[in-house]
Amino acid sequence: MDWQSLLLTIRLSAIVAAILFLIALPVAYWITYSRWRWKFLAEAAVGLPIVLPPTVLGFYLLIALGARSPLGHFWQSITGHTLAFTFQGLVIGSIIYSLPFAVQPFAASFAAVDSRLIAASATLGASKLRTFREIILPLSTPGLVAGIALSFAHTMGEFGVVLMMGGNIPGVTRTVSIEVYDQVQALNYSGASITALILLGISFSLLSLVYALNRRVFAVWLWK
Amino acid sequence: MAVEMRDFAPNRAIESSEKDVSGILSVQIRKRFDAARDSFELDIAAEVPPGITIVFGPSGAGKTTLLECIAGLLSPNFGRIAIESRVIFDRSPKVDVQVHKRKIGYVFQDLALFPHLSVGKNIEYGIRELNPALREEKTQTILDSFRISGLRDRKPNQISGGERQRVALARSLVTDPCLLLLDEPLAALDGPTKSKIVEDLRIWNAAHCIPILYVTHSREEVLTLGDRVLMLEAGKIIAQGLPQEVI
Repeated sequence: MDWQSLLLTIRLSAIVAAILFLIALPVAYWITYSRWRWKFLAEAAVGLPIVLPPTVLGFYLLIALGARSPLGHFWQSITGHTLAFTFQGLVIGSIIYSLPFAVQPFAASFAAVDSRLIAASATLGASKLRTFREIILPLSTPGLVAGIALSFAHTMGEFGVVLMMGGNIPGVTRTVSIEVYDQVQALNYSGASITALILLGISFSLLSLVYALNRRVFAVWLWK
Repeated sequence: MAVEMRDFAPNRAIESSEKDVSGILSVQIRKRFDAARDSFELDIAAEVPPGITIVFGPSGAGKTTLLECIAGLLSPNFGRIAIESRVIFDRSPKVDVQVHKRKIGYVFQDLALFPHLSVGKNIEYGIRELNPALREEKTQTILDSFRISGLRDRKPNQISGGERQRVALARSLVTDPCLLLLDEPLAALDGPTKSKIVEDLRIWNAAHCIPILYVTHSREEVLTLGDRVLMLEAGKIIAQGLPQEVI
């Protein structure tokens, strides 16, 4: 078992989940409350990573972030290297890949907040921002926890995008799922089995913990 | 137990400029809903002076729609809404004051108490901008006035239906609104509980003298509570005047 790849995977997942939390909040709010006629196009775009093969997404990201793209060129002029095959590139790819796993639970929990509570908040003089902060967010806690957990767990298990965007550089872009793939390719089934079992155990424990916590959080405001 | 009038006396130090524009509510609006099979049009022209005006009519008459248009939760297709000289909606010069800036109290039919906040926090919600001492004073006064001081730390799901109605009323009134909208707030209560709350509301209004629109479809409430009645049917006012004359 390569502990370096495990630590790298956990670091990647934590960073992606934290950034996604900040990005997905306004996106989910807009998706929930916007009355824009063509909103469904934005919803479809956000949901694309769920149905798109990870290699296809990875390919487009590789092109978009490569040295010849405007973004890649801009990044290279600042840092001296491209985004492709770097940890930063992996973070950007993972954020896009896991975006729907944060946005959809967030949006579902915002939509579940009783519209009368939002109207009551407004009639009591609260702005939209204050209503979001003090009414919508606290009442959406279970959905927020689920969204963070899902984006963390989804990033831990991603393979195709990592392979296309990051390659297989030990200590930089080599995640646990890539390590399992490498071990299978090398016919090291016992090694692959241990690594896969550890990934399975971590993912299952994390999700169980979060859903258990989720229930308790829900119960606090409902019954306390 | 009758509630002392002084409990409801407005605090001069916290009267805002919006409070000064309390007076006659003037509504001239049209709001149309088109559906595949049915359409509905609310067409209202009314002047509502300070005091309790009952909006009476059968289900589907447009009572709640009228309140939502006044509060800003719905936007009328045509018309004008003003409280004395303060225009809060006017279609032609395109005036549409945002809901949170209208200074209109609204008690919803289902009360809409915030379930994650205690009774005290629910009541403080609308006066957060006040300094802590003043906020505490106003909160305690309204809690005492509506006889709910003992419930301050409880959550809405830990109190009775009647107590929830009192909290909802107190939460709306603590902000010193220039107009109060009540959408069947006492519909689910038994007679004695209803009478006590009505008494509190009457005393509060005697001290504040703002227009109150009280939606109901109960004839009993029209006769016992209202100073005036607007009778609605199919989106239009079909009668208005003193309760004994209209009913």
